[in-house]
Amino acid sequence: MKTILVATLAAGLLAACHEIPQDAPKPYAGKEDVKPYAGDLFKGDKQKFEQALAQRAQSQDEYLHIGDENAPKQ
Amino acid sequence: MARMKFICDAERCIECNGCTTACKNEHEVPWGVNRRRLVTLNDGVPGERSISVACMHCTDAPCMAVCPVDCFYRTDDEIVLHDKDLCIGCGYCFYACPFGAPQYPQAGAFGLRGKMDKCTFCAGGPEENFSVEEFRKYGRNRIAEGKLPACAEMCSTKALLAGDSAVIARIYKVRVTTRGKGEELWGWKVAYGGSDKVSDNLQPVGKA
Repeated sequence: MKTILVATLAAGLLAACHEIPQDAPKPYAGKEDVKPYAGDLFKGDKQKFEQALAQRAQSQDEYLHIGDENAPKQ
Repeated sequence: MARMKFICDAERCIECNGCTTACKNEHEVPWGVNRRRLVTLNDGVPGERSISVACMHCTDAPCMAVCPVDCFYRTDDEIVLHDKDLCIGCGYCFYACPFGAPQYPQAGAFGLRGKMDKCTFCAGGPEENFSVEEFRKYGRNRIAEGKLPACAEMCSTKALLAGDSAVIARIYKVRVTTRGKGEELWGWKVAYGGSDKVSDNLQPVGKA
């Protein structure tokens, strides 16, 4: 009887020792956004859009800008 | 899809405020709101360092987690944006953000706050691309024009890099190996987890 009581009490006390997950992904409740490549410029061509951005990102490398032959190879 | 990130090279930043000015001008950001700002450590002391700070578009964005109206979303390019029509200007995101990115325009007397405003990575918001509404609420949509954020493209010393994480990490790595110091990617550990060393963040282009 005593064992059952202790076990019930322990189970009851431990039941409160859990954490509700707070990092569960929440659904976005706002307006749907249009894809950046959907306009007249890229006409829905995702690959062309990605290429344009990659080219732009690469142009931030000033070693390529100055065309230095001795520049470190990537 | 690419994974858009910023890198601020503290070894190169000369505190010219070109990035903050470019941002203000590009998006016609109202007085009192600073989507991007410069922070200088040990100002005036030899060896001072400046960092250009804005929204880092975190992987596990705390602003997104705490928003009571769920107005944040993530684009395919991993850019964190929000819907201003839904925002109630509660300020929770400001307290949650480790970079102090969310800004609030004054909307009336006695410090009444308006809807939250932050860096959009120049990707506009949930309105029709290039529309008047999009510009009024979120600023210019350079990403839809195939361009990178104005702050990074304006940077005179190329201290601020923006774009696909794999591409900019490679550019940064070449710099680091050339000069032999400054491998730390400021804010990356906080924003994206893992390591803040560029050598640990190199991934094949297009796989980031």
